[in-house]
Amino acid sequence: MAKNYHRAAPVSLDVPLISNQEIWMNIALIKQYHENMPRIQAEKFVLNALQRLDLAHIAYKRNPALTDEERFVVLLLRAAMVKDALIIIDRPFKIIPHLKNSNSILQALKKIDDFYTTCHIYDYKWMEEKYGAL
Amino acid sequence: MSRDLKVGLFIVGTTIIILAALLYLANEKGLFANTYVFTLSSKSGDGLTEGMPVVFSGFDIGKVSTLELNDKGMVLIKIKIAQRHVKWIKADSAFILYRPLIGAARIVVTTNNLNSPPLPEDKIVAMETVNDINDAIKKVQPLLEKITQIAENLERLSNNLSDPKGDLNRILSNAQIITKTLSSKKSFLEMAVADEESVQSIYEALKKVKDIVTKIDKMADKMDKQLYGKEGTLPNINQILKDIAGKLQKLDKTVDNINKISTDTSDGMKDFRMLRSDIDDTVNAIDDVAKKLDDLISSKKDPEFKLP
Amino acid sequence: MNVLENIGRLGVKTVKSFLDTISFAFKVICRMFQYRSYNSAMRMVLINQIYFTSVQILPVFLIVSIVLGSLLIGIAFQLLKQLGLTDYFGNVLMGLIVTELSPFFTVLFITLRSASAINTEMAVMKVNGEMKTLETFRIDVINYLLLPRIINGVISLVLLSSLFSIVLMVSGILFSWLIFGMSTDVYINILLNSAKFFDMVIALIKCAVFGFFITLIPIRFGLRASREFTSIPIAVSGGMVNVFTAIIIIEVLSFLIKLF
Repeated sequence: MAKNYHRAAPVSLDVPLISNQEIWMNIALIKQYHENMPRIQAEKFVLNALQRLDLAHIAYKRNPALTDEERFVVLLLRAAMVKDALIIIDRPFKIIPHLKNSNSILQALKKIDDFYTTCHIYDYKWMEEKYGAL
Repeated sequence: MSRDLKVGLFIVGTTIIILAALLYLANEKGLFANTYVFTLSSKSGDGLTEGMPVVFSGFDIGKVSTLELNDKGMVLIKIKIAQRHVKWIKADSAFILYRPLIGAARIVVTTNNLNSPPLPEDKIVAMETVNDINDAIKKVQPLLEKITQIAENLERLSNNLSDPKGDLNRILSNAQIITKTLSSKKSFLEMAVADEESVQSIYEALKKVKDIVTKIDKMADKMDKQLYGKEGTLPNINQILKDIAGKLQKLDKTVDNINKISTDTSDGMKDFRMLRSDIDDTVNAIDDVAKKLDDLISSKKDPEFKLP
Repeated sequence: MNVLENIGRLGVKTVKSFLDTISFAFKVICRMFQYRSYNSAMRMVLINQIYFTSVQILPVFLIVSIVLGSLLIGIAFQLLKQLGLTDYFGNVLMGLIVTELSPFFTVLFITLRSASAINTEMAVMKVNGEMKTLETFRIDVINYLLLPRIINGVISLVLLSSLFSIVLMVSGILFSWLIFGMSTDVYINILLNSAKFFDMVIALIKCAVFGFFITLIPIRFGLRASREFTSIPIAVSGGMVNVFTAIIIIEVLSFLIKLF
């Protein structure tokens, strides 16, 4: 992990979205800052990514306006923007408390699997059954 | 209009306005103008400062850029003149450091002949100084001396005036005495003499003088009559003088005869006796006339003047 | 003894705080001149900041400039006429109003509007843990958050102050004609004769320094907030007091520089 620190991309409530920026800016920030992607290109890229997850409509909203699922997806997408991302999902059911199982999480990961390299989900042992045969 | 465009317009627009204003100011101040540097010399750097304006016909055409001393101790003044004003600087231009009583000092350029060749930049021109302050001091100094003298005199006068034993105070006190005395005396004369008896004597004397004058008047009238009246002395004298004149005419004839006698001496001797007796007669007649005159004059009574 | 100790402690704290601010300012200035500080994200934040600070309020700012500027000019000219000092109106206009009052009013305007907002924003971000987010994703806080805001402060203050001065001078044409019966040519001539390059440069530098510190100090105090929401007002009030102190210090320093 220490060697691949620069690839670590956490998805956690402890790493919140920037509340005074729009969702697309939160997601595009990584590309713009690290890869110096121009704003317009970054915006287009993010909108396409959101489109894949059928969430293009939330691009210009801000963090407090999102639902828990939307917030999770945005956090995931932001993490996926890191180059050769090693996504680390920290307690996803804390982010989406009412979720019954991990299906929607896995579906979302599947839709953007070309954005990241690996994904690790960390949770409490007693949450094991929510993950099923994962 | 996108946000980026608005921001870009704002930054670019405002920057252009600021730069334009600064460039305009710089241009008007002559920052971009070519300048020519001329060197002036002066014995003293007194009153000279860097940045002092150089003025031609009341307009600023340049300024003093540097001041330095040369090896001979002369002050070298380098003036910068803008290109558009360098045409006023000619070889025969005069440079004068003018230090007015009121206002800042400046270097005044005067050019009498604008057709003269331009002043070369490497030539060092001597600068004169016109010092309003020194000239004013020179003019004012004699005046100040006079004023000082007047002030001293005034001081002396005021000391005198304020001194109780001074002239004016004494005059005033005497005048006081005089007026006091006058107020208590009957007449001015009494006050002057301060003695009633003397005053009385003066009055009597004046009265007598009046009488004398009246007498003199009368005597003068009489004298007038005696001298100028019909039977007066002067008409008689006139008459006598006429007689004398007649007699003298006769004497003339006698003298002629004497001349005749001088050629006929012998014959003349008889005539000489006759002549002599004629002369004797004439002289006696004149004597008589003179006596009569004396009698006439001495017959008039001399006025007498008697004084008390 | 306690009193002396307290005074000493306060003095040490003040000096330490002052030195921290200066060293932080120095760090920021160094980053300002590094090419790698300027990436797409940073530029976007910078543009947004300039937009919200200057462009968005431009119409209001121009109206306030015209009203306030006209008021200042009118009062100054009227007073000069009454005192028989009409010869000095050029010096008063350029030396006092344009180079001193213009930057001062602009800095007050920006401080009340933008500096307080920046201060609050930083404090809230700190409380929300958003600073941690940036650190987690290896986004330099100075480069991404601080630098755009500070550069925005410098640019906005210089440009807005200059606009204020220009509006003042233009309204001066009207008032000089009304009060002194002066033509535009004569007015411009007087302005040119009274304008000193050095004073104007000092005024521009002063605006830049103002802009630098009225954004730096609120950011520093905002970043001092803890994880509790109650620390936000403390951070904001402390920041704003220090901003006004900095304004006074900068004014005094610029005055001293002009003197010597």
